Amino acid sequence: MSRATWRGLAGGLVLLALWEGVVRGLGIAPWILPPPSGILATTWTVRGALLDAGAMTLFEATAGYGIGAVLGIALAMLLALATPLRKLVLPMVVAVNSVPVAAYAPLALLWFGTGALSKIIMVAFIVGFTVFLNTLDGLLRVDPAAVALLRSFGAGRLGVLWRLRVPSALPAMLVGLRVSTVRSMIVAIVTEMLGSQKGLGWTIFEAVLQIDFLRVWAAILVASLISLGFFAAVGALERRVVFWR
Amino acid sequence: MTNAADQLDQLLTVGEAPAARTKLQLRGVSRRFGAVQALAKVDLGIAEGEFVTLIGPSGCGKSTLFNIVAGLLEADPGGEVLLDGAPASLLGKVAFMPQRDLLLPWRNVLDNAILAAEVEGRPKREARELARAMAADFGLKGFENHYPQQLSGGMRQRVALMRTFLFDRDLMLLDEPFGALDALTRAMMQRWLLDIWSRYRRTILFITHDIDEAIFLGDRVVVMSARPGSIKLERRIDLPRPRDPALLTTPAFNAIKRELLDAVEEESMKTFASGAA
Repeated sequence: MSRATWRGLAGGLVLLALWEGVVRGLGIAPWILPPPSGILATTWTVRGALLDAGAMTLFEATAGYGIGAVLGIALAMLLALATPLRKLVLPMVVAVNSVPVAAYAPLALLWFGTGALSKIIMVAFIVGFTVFLNTLDGLLRVDPAAVALLRSFGAGRLGVLWRLRVPSALPAMLVGLRVSTVRSMIVAIVTEMLGSQKGLGWTIFEAVLQIDFLRVWAAILVASLISLGFFAAVGALERRVVFWR
Repeated sequence: MTNAADQLDQLLTVGEAPAARTKLQLRGVSRRFGAVQALAKVDLGIAEGEFVTLIGPSGCGKSTLFNIVAGLLEADPGGEVLLDGAPASLLGKVAFMPQRDLLLPWRNVLDNAILAAEVEGRPKREARELARAMAADFGLKGFENHYPQQLSGGMRQRVALMRTFLFDRDLMLLDEPFGALDALTRAMMQRWLLDIWSRYRRTILFITHDIDEAIFLGDRVVVMSARPGSIKLERRIDLPRPRDPALLTTPAFNAIKRELLDAVEEESMKTFASGAA
């Protein structure tokens, strides 16, 4: 592990120790803020249920993520090639995207039920927009002189797209993909909170109703770890793909 | 490997002093952008195998002329652009090297060099072999797998030039390829380019701001007028080849330089007076 990673870990441990000390020292009630030791203990006790819930949420998030990423990239390439269509469609896309996602969640539950499908569609929706807008921006922001050079070699639109636009867009595309990892988890969890019988969002919602705040925190811990892992995995992929940055 | 060596041999074969067949002929080529007349009736002929350098004040329409010759821009109706004596769309027929090297950061030296060959649909492996065989000539041996961001400015320009040479066209169009290099590197690159040119024999139109460079490299120097750009002066350079740096201080060189400086100065003053500079 790198030095930065070690420093991050050390900082995290110090913070946890401080948290533990403050909660115990001031005698803060566990339903306001439980100590880390309590959260860890609870997480261990209910690990079976949390693992199931986490697996469900991760499945919804990654399935939606995959669908959204593929659709977003495909649409961006299509609109990069078809300028008139882009000028027609892009303002609408931006308008739809500027409405907060959570606002659509009840509709998704109404149309697609309270199972996994509604979560996957919601995640695909938000990931698709993020990846689409980032990728399109990257595809269009190429050096006009480089386009002229490729044209002088006899390259057509597709040649320019494949040899110049797509590789130039990779950095922006991967930023979109990286940012989308966390968003996909957030959207999956929020949509679960609004209606489902499974997943971490549902676990948190249930635990709040039962005033079981340690379980709320345990679920948050698992959600954070999954999010972090997903983010780190795509971040590692990004560093490999965009090696020239 | 033998295949690549054969091809390289073909590339390297020096023809006899080329017959004065005209490679490129511009007749009355004009171009207007809205209210601005960038080019006005440019007449210019370049013989096969000739190295023509072109100088002119900034804003004289050099880039417009280059884009027309590269086929990236249409000339206004009335003018003629003839390649090998026939009117032709020049896009894809001229090896064009822009001012900036425009190397792609995700491609290594070899893959940058074969970009044009790849666009043409030549098999990658074959093109790479040819590029590998050429790398030594271009001072890139041992750097074939480096990425552009790992190279010096002079090396990057050589990769760009190799890319231009590998785009196997009789006419090469070089737009201030050494403009961004420091004086020492530039002088070295000029000698190197002459060496490469004498071996690979291409017709070259070379644009520059540097009168010394124009004289040192060219068979003929063409001076463009202030906007609207047209050909103000053509001067054959009869200095012997191969040329070496000592040439730069000879009286013959200086005489030519004075003549050209006067012409360029006059045009620069016009540009200055019109507030375009």
